[in-house]
Amino acid sequence: MKPKSDLPQGTLDLLILKVVALGPIHGYAVAQRLVQVSRGVVQVPQGSLYPALHRLENRGLLTADWKLTETGREAKFYRVTRKGQTQLETEAAGWQRLTQAVSLILKMSEGGAG
Amino acid sequence: MTWWHRLFHRRQHEEQLEKEIRHHLDMHTHDLIGQGYSPEEAQRQAHLALGGTEQVKEMCRDARRTRWLEELLQDLRIGVRMLRKNPGFTLVVAATLALGIGANTAIFGLVDALLLRPLPVVKAPGELVLLVRGEGQGPTLSYPDFRVLRERNEVLSDLALYTQAPISFGNNVRSEVVLGAMVSGNYFDVLGIKPSLGRAFLPEEDRTPGTHPVVVLNHSFWQTRFNSDRTLVGKTIVLNSRPFTVVGIAPAGFDGESPPMKVSLWIPVMMTATMREEPTQTRHDPLSNRHDENFGAIGRLKQGVSITQAQASLETINRQLEQSDPTAPAQRVNPNNDRSLRLFSPRGIMLGSIRENAVTSSRLAGVTVLMVLLIACANVANLLMARAATRRKEVAVRLALGATRGRLIRQLLTESVLLALVGATAGLLLAYWINQLLMAFKPPFPPPFTFTLDLSFDIRTFVFTFLLAIATGVIFGLVPALQASRPDVLPALKDESNAEGQRVRRLNLRSALVITQVALSLALLISTGLFLRTLRYARQIDLGFKPDKVLEVSFNLRLQGYDEAKGREFYRLMVERLERLPGVQTASVANLLPLGFMWLTTPVVPEDREVPPNERIFAGSVSVGSQYFETIGTPLLYGRDFNAQDTIKSTQVAIVSEKLARRLWPEIKEPGEALGKRVRVGRSDLISCEVIGVAKDSRNNIFNRLDREPEPTIYRPFAQNYSARASLIVRTDGDPRGLVSGVRREVAALDENLPPQELQPLSETVSLASWSARTGATVLGVFGLLGLALAAIGIYGVMSYSVSRRTREIGLRMALGAETRDVIKLIVKQGMSLALIGAVIGLMLAVAVTRLLTSLLYGVTATDPATFAGVVLFVICVAVIACYLPARRATKVDPMMALRCE
Repeated sequence: MKPKSDLPQGTLDLLILKVVALGPIHGYAVAQRLVQVSRGVVQVPQGSLYPALHRLENRGLLTADWKLTETGREAKFYRVTRKGQTQLETEAAGWQRLTQAVSLILKMSEGGAG
Repeated sequence: MTWWHRLFHRRQHEEQLEKEIRHHLDMHTHDLIGQGYSPEEAQRQAHLALGGTEQVKEMCRDARRTRWLEELLQDLRIGVRMLRKNPGFTLVVAATLALGIGANTAIFGLVDALLLRPLPVVKAPGELVLLVRGEGQGPTLSYPDFRVLRERNEVLSDLALYTQAPISFGNNVRSEVVLGAMVSGNYFDVLGIKPSLGRAFLPEEDRTPGTHPVVVLNHSFWQTRFNSDRTLVGKTIVLNSRPFTVVGIAPAGFDGESPPMKVSLWIPVMMTATMREEPTQTRHDPLSNRHDENFGAIGRLKQGVSITQAQASLETINRQLEQSDPTAPAQRVNPNNDRSLRLFSPRGIMLGSIRENAVTSSRLAGVTVLMVLLIACANVANLLMARAATRRKEVAVRLALGATRGRLIRQLLTESVLLALVGATAGLLLAYWINQLLMAFKPPFPPPFTFTLDLSFDIRTFVFTFLLAIATGVIFGLVPALQASRPDVLPALKDESNAEGQRVRRLNLRSALVITQVALSLALLISTGLFLRTLRYARQIDLGFKPDKVLEVSFNLRLQGYDEAKGREFYRLMVERLERLPGVQTASVANLLPLGFMWLTTPVVPEDREVPPNERIFAGSVSVGSQYFETIGTPLLYGRDFNAQDTIKSTQVAIVSEKLARRLWPEIKEPGEALGKRVRVGRSDLISCEVIGVAKDSRNNIFNRLDREPEPTIYRPFAQNYSARASLIVRTDGDPRGLVSGVRREVAALDENLPPQELQPLSETVSLASWSARTGATVLGVFGLLGLALAAIGIYGVMSYSVSRRTREIGLRMALGAETRDVIKLIVKQGMSLALIGAVIGLMLAVAVTRLLTSLLYGVTATDPATFAGVVLFVICVAVIACYLPARRATKVDPMMALRCE
């Protein structure tokens, strides 16, 4: 089993937004999806998932309804609001710029060493 | 979902949170079973993956950010439940706090009215400034000065002038003397006041002296005297026997610029010469005389000009005025060394000497009630700590279940603030009652100097009380909360309530509180004691006259338009009529009464020796009728009394006081040797008199200080030195009050339009002199005893607690043969050591506090050893009793029961 990385600070909200943006989804499914899409690389602490969902809901980036799941149970389904969509786009763009910059710096130092 | 929506749908929200988490766990368990785990193991793993469900829920609640409010509501709910669960405890605490907070609210209301409240009714009172020369706050400007200051200044948008005088007001039903004000034409404009009816003064009414007899009436005066007659405007009323046209009615609530004096009517300043009562017979035009400094000025600052800037600018003009006037200060009516101009905003009461007294008394009262509140706080803190001991298990359980200490402290503080608010509510009612009581203590000034003080609560009082309650709740709640929430969970859960360290710590804190209480109440009681000593001294003072059984009544005939001949006749007839009333021994007349409201002095020079001008002797100048000395009760030591032969045509004669005789002729051995000598009396028109008698010294002077030594006095026959303003005095067989209606009838028989003033027993006028000491003694005494009672309860509580904790030890001692006496000694010693430490601290505190009293005491120093010792003894006695009761209970312990009880 390859080692799992901890989630960088502040990225959990972004990841949750991204996952929820794909369509209405309940908490457990968000946890599943995060593990799946990150191919097990990223360790999502389940304990911080729900507070994050509630925080995003409180900020008006997510909204929630109670619906029946495919197995016929009632569950809280989250959706991204318009405000959340905008937030996701800006944060995603910001994240892109940051990672590009970071990898650029990392390459530069490799070049310097070689 | 808005935050309040969440707040008020808390239960629904909790259910949903629970459901969401359960759903997650079920799903995870289900998946894990699918992966081949046993159901139990799957459930365990799912829980493990999520972390503690309660923690997750708590974090979700945190994420919602309304948590603090929810917690506050929760705390309040718990608080209310706790209070209702222990109604006895709640009642005791709330009552204690009500006393402490109520006293503070009452005094705040008083201080607000006396010192802080801006002038009512006027526009933007913050911009108004009073101009005063030198110290004090009374009128200190002359009319010509006012004109110059008004025209030359660049810092005021306008400046108005005022001066007050008693004015006789007569209608067909009755006549009375009221306080009137003569004001410049712009007075109402400067204050920004629109009359509620009619108009203010016109420019032409402010131009030529004596030509426009118009008047604006005070609203409540109009209501009470004219029954709110709206047709009154345009009609005439009679003031000082002269018709005046009513042009307007001032808006309700406006009583002039100098509370607490209530001005009943306003007249243009141009009418001053015809209205004012002159204390001397000198007539001059007050509007052109630069030495008549009986005017006050009130101005409005220009936009953006600060009071300091304005003062600097006006002082420049004032200095030019001073330099342009070469006359010596001695010639001024109002000689004043400090001649600089000061500005201040009118707040509270504006009467110089009264305001000074008010500042002193307010500071004193403030310190007093704060001490009472602190004592109350200490008591409540003690009670809370005693209760905390019984709640230790509850607290420990909550700590064990994961409540943070901060959260617990917050909850305990919410409880104590809640208690304080309950106390404050009761305190407001109490304060209302205290203020009613305080009003009964207002200085008994006779009319027209009505002393109005509005002690009704305004918004500031409520805000003050609310903030005070919160502060109080935190003060008395914090220490018990900190202590109760100390996380020593294990011993508490194991019921090891007697852990030694815990006991000592808790007792130490409670002891500190008891020491504080004893110290504070001791300081309060010492202050009370000093006032009581002052009062006793006041009663023992030999006044030199006997005010009991004397009735006085005063008149101002000038206001009624009497000339001198008519006035003399009136007073002569009145004395005759009064002497004939049943129960009257003697009657007489005098222009001044000892310890009254007015005092006049005059230079007196012996004719048989030269006295350099700077050693001139000033003596009180009193004109009296025959039998004055007998009536007032001042013994005539040598010579004869004035009699009917001393008339305006006969030789001028005088009676001097003992002290004056010795001052005038230092060489004489017996004051009686002054008989037959001659003196010259007066400032300018010197009158030569022969001394025909010597009277015993009598306390005289102005009313407010009883402790001043008698001033030398010269008495002259009323017949030879007439005064339009005079008092008749009557010595009676019994209670002088019984004569009041008889005197009224006699006055009406002579002139039914003449208002008798100050118709009261002479002892009442004299009692004004000891007013501040009486008020101080009563107020401090009540609060001091209150404080001591609270402190006694505190000592009792601590000792009871200590005894209950030591039941086992006491039982053991008694089982081993200790006597009842030994046990009592043991307990009392412990309690008394606290009381003694408190007493020592209290003594030091008292030395600091009583320094505030110095100006209000007489006949006793602020560090009077007898008072200090007496009060310490008293407090220690109370402390001994408070210790003895629990100690005696301790001896009732059955040794066997005590040893088994744990």
